[in-house]
Amino acid sequence: MNKALAYCAFLREEGVSLPAAGVNAAPVEVMTAGALALLWSHVQWPFEPSAMQRHAVEFHEVISHVFRQRAVAPFRLLSVFDDRASLSSFVALHGADFAADLERLRAFVQMECVVYVARPEFVADTASGTRYLRHKAELLRRIEDYTAKIKAVLAETSAEIRVREVKQGVRIFALVKRGREQEFKSIAGDVPVSEGLARRLSGPWPAAEFLSAQVKSPNVAEAR
Amino acid sequence: MARGRPIHLSLMPTEFESVEIGGAPQEDVSILDILDHVLNAGVVVQGSLVISVAGVDLVYLGLNVVLTSVETALRSLNAEAKRAKQ
Repeated sequence: MNKALAYCAFLREEGVSLPAAGVNAAPVEVMTAGALALLWSHVQWPFEPSAMQRHAVEFHEVISHVFRQRAVAPFRLLSVFDDRASLSSFVALHGADFAADLERLRAFVQMECVVYVARPEFVADTASGTRYLRHKAELLRRIEDYTAKIKAVLAETSAEIRVREVKQGVRIFALVKRGREQEFKSIAGDVPVSEGLARRLSGPWPAAEFLSAQVKSPNVAEAR
Repeated sequence: MARGRPIHLSLMPTEFESVEIGGAPQEDVSILDILDHVLNAGVVVQGSLVISVAGVDLVYLGLNVVLTSVETALRSLNAEAKRAKQ
C-alpha cells in the first residue's frame, strides 16, 4: 500500500537546495501553497519493523538537509496521509498557520539540555523506604537546582526556554538564534552537574518544541 | 495494540552510538537522538498516526496512545540494535 509521508514544511524561498531521495530512496516531492513548501514522498506502507531504524535516519536526513539552510517545521516519522490529495487538503487547511510559525521561528534553532539520574540504581536502592525517598527527594532537588541555574545563565542567549519533565530527569529546550549554538553549549556546559546526575547537550534541532499548538497538533487544536 | 517485551533499558543511556549524517559538518548525532526527535518531536496529525512495534502489525492509534507508545517503540528498537550487535 502506498501512503504520502510528510517530512517537513518550510518557507518557500529562492536558493533552497532540496534532497533528491528520502525514506527508502523514494523521490522527494515538493508541495507548495502560498508562502509554504512541504516535502513529502510516496512510500510503501507499512514500514518493515527491521528497517525502522534506517528509515528514521533517512527521514532525519531529509529534514536536516533543509534545516541546515532554513527553519523547518518537522513532521513526525509515523505521520502519513492516505494520498497526495489528503496531504494537499491538509496543507490548504493549515498552511497559513505553518507559514506564520515559520516566519516567527525563521532565525532560530532549538538547543537541548537533558539532565537525568546517571545511576538509576542509586534511586532504586530499596534497602529502606525512608532511604529511598530521601535519595529520590535529594536527586529531584538537585535537578531543580540545575534547571534554575541553566535558565538563569541562558536567559541572555535564549529567546525562550521551556522545561519538560521526563523519566528520571528534565529536558530543557532553548530557542537560540542560529549561529549562537556554540555559545549555548559553552555556557550550558560550564554549569556543573551535581553528583548522581548526568547531562547531555545537543543541537541544533528544528524548533519543534516552540511550534504553536495549532501546528504541533492541528486536529487537537481544531477540536478545542 | 503493540505490546513490548519487558526490556530494561534507559532512554537516556550514558553511551551513545554515533552516526554521521551525510554532508553535515561532522555533526555528532546519536541514533537515539535521531529516533527520539523523528518519533517524538514535530507535527502530529491526529488520525493518521500509525505505529508498528516489534513485528506487531500496524495499529491506528489515538494521539494520546501514540505519545505514550513512542517510548515503547524506542525501547524495542534499542533492544533490537543491542541484540544485533551481540
